[in-house]
Amino acid sequence: MQKFAPSILVLALSAALAGCQDKGPQKEKVNIDKNPYPSTYKAMPSSATLITNATVLTGTGERLDNADVYIVDGKISQVGVDLNVQADTTVDAQGKWVTPGIIDVHSHLGAYPSPAVESHQDGNEMISPNTAQVWVEHSVWPQDPGFNRAREGGITTLQILPGSANLFGGRSVTLKNVPAHTMQGMKFPDAPYGLKMACGENPKRVYGGKGVAPYTRMGNMAGYRQAWIEATEYKLAWERYEQEYAAGMNPDAPKRDIRLDTLRGVLDGEILIHNHCYKAEEMAMMIDLGKEFNYHSGTFHHGIEAYKVADLLAQNGNCAALWPDWWGFKMEAYDMVQENVAIVDAVKNSCAVVHSDSDTTIQRLNQEAGKVMYTANQKGFNLKEQDAIKWITYNAAKSLGVSDKTGSIEQGKQADVVIWDKNPFSVYAKAEHVYIDGAKVYDRKDEKYQAVSDFMLGQR
Amino acid sequence: MTKFNLSMITGALLASSAAFAQVTAITGATVHTATEQGTLNNATVLIEDGKIKAINPENVTASEIVRANGLVLTPGFIGSMNQLGLVEVGAVANSRDASDEKAGLDFDPSYAFNPRSSLIPYARKGGITQSVVSPINYDGSFQGLAFTANLSGEFDSVADKHTAFVIYLGAKSKGSRALAFQQFIEKLEGQKAKLAKKDDKKEGDKPSGEERVLSQLLNGEMPVVIHASRAADIAQIIKLKSEYGLDIIINGAADAVLLADELAKAEIPVIVSAVANLPSDFDAMHATLENAGKLEKAGVKVLLAIAGDSSHNLYQLRFDAGIAVSNGMSYDSAIKAVTSNVADAFDIKGGKIAVGQPADLVLWSADPFELSTKVEKMWINGEEVKTDSRHDKLRERYTTDSELPRAYTK
Repeated sequence: MQKFAPSILVLALSAALAGCQDKGPQKEKVNIDKNPYPSTYKAMPSSATLITNATVLTGTGERLDNADVYIVDGKISQVGVDLNVQADTTVDAQGKWVTPGIIDVHSHLGAYPSPAVESHQDGNEMISPNTAQVWVEHSVWPQDPGFNRAREGGITTLQILPGSANLFGGRSVTLKNVPAHTMQGMKFPDAPYGLKMACGENPKRVYGGKGVAPYTRMGNMAGYRQAWIEATEYKLAWERYEQEYAAGMNPDAPKRDIRLDTLRGVLDGEILIHNHCYKAEEMAMMIDLGKEFNYHSGTFHHGIEAYKVADLLAQNGNCAALWPDWWGFKMEAYDMVQENVAIVDAVKNSCAVVHSDSDTTIQRLNQEAGKVMYTANQKGFNLKEQDAIKWITYNAAKSLGVSDKTGSIEQGKQADVVIWDKNPFSVYAKAEHVYIDGAKVYDRKDEKYQAVSDFMLGQR
Repeated sequence: MTKFNLSMITGALLASSAAFAQVTAITGATVHTATEQGTLNNATVLIEDGKIKAINPENVTASEIVRANGLVLTPGFIGSMNQLGLVEVGAVANSRDASDEKAGLDFDPSYAFNPRSSLIPYARKGGITQSVVSPINYDGSFQGLAFTANLSGEFDSVADKHTAFVIYLGAKSKGSRALAFQQFIEKLEGQKAKLAKKDDKKEGDKPSGEERVLSQLLNGEMPVVIHASRAADIAQIIKLKSEYGLDIIINGAADAVLLADELAKAEIPVIVSAVANLPSDFDAMHATLENAGKLEKAGVKVLLAIAGDSSHNLYQLRFDAGIAVSNGMSYDSAIKAVTSNVADAFDIKGGKIAVGQPADLVLWSADPFELSTKVEKMWINGEEVKTDSRHDKLRERYTTDSELPRAYTK
């Protein structure tokens, strides 16, 4: 594979030139603040909690029967049978199931909120095929009642993505699903940003329809490549600046460009790609595109045809975030199979994720995963609950770059936990208690823990 | 995980006399009749000439016996208000036939119904045997006529061409909903006047398509499905029923819970989504998961339909019924909400396991609403149909090892 590597030569040349020109005392160094809208999230009040006698799906592929989960200081402290510990609160979960908090890697809550009125269409900056400069967190309306409905379905973490009209749609943001009246109050501390990219029909329809590029799928590819060339030059310019400054020279900082800041973040490995991409041949090309420009092609979302390239995805370390059964709304969604997630999952080192892209199914990702498990088992797979839960917990956390923090019930992890009244893969299952960082954020039987958004207050 | 039950042998037993017609007996089933009979345990259902011939007969004489061994038998589920057979791919314009900007009030999309659509075998995976298929026109109020088709995939599967008239009287992004109400009332008034003067008319005057539809509505010969969600609009619609004697069904009905008693009294059925619980606009401030159960408890006839892409996702109807049950609807009512209530509201055949009804039947591995359950067998008009679709072919192609490219695996 040919790497993009003219950098050393360019760097050496320009360093020599700059070195001749810039003399005298150094100007103040220009630094880019990479976190100008920092999280102000604080866990809600919690106490040491012991959940007892539950069927526990850890999210790491294990199922523990009659097990206890001990939560202290917002973290999972111990998991096991008959724990001998002191707790402020004990929850008897006999006959109930406990899972990690559910994670949706693909949501537009807050950016396309309810009510879906024209004033609220804040998810797609459809003015240019490359809008890497927009950050969807600047569109998030924390009062979207959908956040509360999602929490009632066990969602504790979710990624909000810009829409898919553009080749580069902008930055995503990962949120803790707590009620807050600012976006920053929900922002998942230290979660990496994502960059939304889109393949296929949407960009070429939106822009081709206006008579501008991209008009075709080959136009899509040209658009990505041109942007990455620009981003590579931008990255080199800033690195040159840093190096010269460090060497005691007095260079001028490159002109700041927030669109290129985001693309450079990808090239630096700090921002993860989340790529709306349905078709097998397009996923294969997006993987090569990442290699051409030296970044990782990340997670493929909506990969209706992921099952056709399951080996390739696993080899290259791509997660695939998929629906169990949506199909047919456009040509690129025609070749759906109901076992898509299971086929992707069956390959070694795979990362299969079930996602929603919906303010409705986000409330039942457990059922969405269940549909796949049962359908696949009817066709000869041998999937168990402890396998299926990974698709909406651990693998999802991996896709978002937060699997060291949440996504499994393991010692030291953030205590994002759901207690279900029965096997969560039943159509009748309901989340009874939801905990985020050890704090109870939802209780089906106690109105005190049922949040109401400003918008709904006094409406009923 | 329910495994295929090997003891459920389909026995091709010889009938005592070859002169008898083909009779299929389904024995030992838990039968949800979707009628007053409720649920029958260890019951036998006889099928002859495409119809249900008997339930629990004293003697069983059959050419074919399906031993259900406690599996669940229901009427085939009935979808409604989707565009099944009128669309193949949503974004492919020339595969869509559910609307036309030149269409009038009497627009009849049944002419465009495609029984060979790939959506139809896929919907059968959800035990759907029949659907009320509706035109859909996002720009106008008058949508046209809904028709009924079975899901056999046969060319004669349109069973009823004029099942209902469909009109949209809800929130509008351009203009006012008031105008749609006014126009509808004016048309009804106009036709009422014409009908009153009918005797004066010269013989041989043929009514226009629009006049025929309006007459059928005014005579209560055809129901009108009104898309509306806001309680204030529903209150107006209840008045329309009493003023014009219309046979009204309300579709959407997000805020119908505010007028549940009034709807029950006016005998207006509602078609709701079991999963619509967000205030999608200011017409739906009372949408909750409990609404289907609350309406049922108030005595309203509730029909469940799929929200969103109701054509491609029609197979999910049984899961929606399960969600309704887990949020307060009684199990029997949920069965009826996807079978007999649909048939009764639209006055079509099917939806019931009762003598004389078409043998549209589904034998399930277990509780039909549960995610782990699958269709074991199903029949449409007494003929057994399969649930395989091209989706299964694709799965098999990509999960079968071959030295040749996938294209050679067929």
